[in-house]
Amino acid sequence: MRRLSIFRNTLQMLSPLTRPKAPLLPQASSHVVFRCYAAPPKRFYKHTGVLYCDGQYEITLDQRKLKTPKGTVFRVKSEPLALAVALEWDSQKERILQTDMHLSSLCNTALDNPNHIVKFDAVQQILSFLETDTILYQSADDDNPNAQALYDMQVREWNPIINWFNERFGVDLQPTRDIGSPHVSDESKAAIQRHLLSYNDWAIHGFCFAVDTLKSIILTLACVERLITVEQAVLLSRLEEEYQSGYWGRVEWAHDLNQQQMQGRVAAAVLFIHLNSSSVAVRRKDTT
Amino acid sequence: MNSPTAGKVLKQLASEVRLHSSHPKICSDSQLMKYILSQYERYKVTDQQLCKAQEEMSSLAKTYLCYLQSTRRTAEIRQVYKGKGERSVQETADMVGFKLPHDPK
Repeated sequence: MRRLSIFRNTLQMLSPLTRPKAPLLPQASSHVVFRCYAAPPKRFYKHTGVLYCDGQYEITLDQRKLKTPKGTVFRVKSEPLALAVALEWDSQKERILQTDMHLSSLCNTALDNPNHIVKFDAVQQILSFLETDTILYQSADDDNPNAQALYDMQVREWNPIINWFNERFGVDLQPTRDIGSPHVSDESKAAIQRHLLSYNDWAIHGFCFAVDTLKSIILTLACVERLITVEQAVLLSRLEEEYQSGYWGRVEWAHDLNQQQMQGRVAAAVLFIHLNSSSVAVRRKDTT
Repeated sequence: MNSPTAGKVLKQLASEVRLHSSHPKICSDSQLMKYILSQYERYKVTDQQLCKAQEEMSSLAKTYLCYLQSTRRTAEIRQVYKGKGERSVQETADMVGFKLPHDPK
């Protein structure tokens, strides 16, 4: 009985979105105990398509129009983005797993803006990652030869990116080996802030998602500026994990899954930033 | 888009789109594939003015390829290691060689 009550408490702690409506507990007749998560909805459409309407693109699921969670019609300005979202919906085979549809989620977040975040606040949130940027924290000074090897690897792989970043944005960031955070001057922050503010609201949502995943502004900007590919950015962000799994062994359901998930998220965010930045559209106009 | 790898990326993109699509047979006629092919056609011309956009488009294609591959592999790994739920008391007892109170000795 005690076990059941713990189980019930756990269920109550789940957010209203993930809490199943009924039944809360599996029937006592079954011997197998399992958790009742809300079942993902079944696929209710056969074909997906993209419509052009008033200068914006909409997604159709059979004859229905796709809507955002808040109930407004899903509309994006970029054609490739709409096509990619349509493929995402088409790739859901039997059940619709919205947790894996990063481009749709990013569009929904930007359209609904559920947290009512304005661009300036979002940029401040991103900037708060600068002082604790993953690639500024390097392995501590240690007698252990493995720690030294890891440090050498970090210097070899990370420092060229930091140098590029300093040169590109005219800032002065230095890596640290202490537990204390590296000093970031107000001028450096202002320079990065200026650069980020030059993007539009939608692209900033993409930046938030990418920085959250990579835990690094430097790697995100290097990836958006095409210095490194998405795969390289994820590899550099997980450098210590890669080093340790090279020593202790690699587990597919943990390390590979984590890597692929991060790659999916970062690639979605980078695509979202590029497809929503005006530079692409302007250049395309020039060529027509 | 006339770098040596552009054709290879296009080929991989087409195959990934086919794997993601629920109608792989008519996939080459889909709006997405038509769009991708039209973009490849448009940025094929070698011209000084287009140089920067070409690099941009090729990186965009690679990023999209990475997105499609990673989401597919994530789903595959999850499918392989998906849990079947907890074991029943009987199964656990059988595993360690115990008997339940009501079982015959």
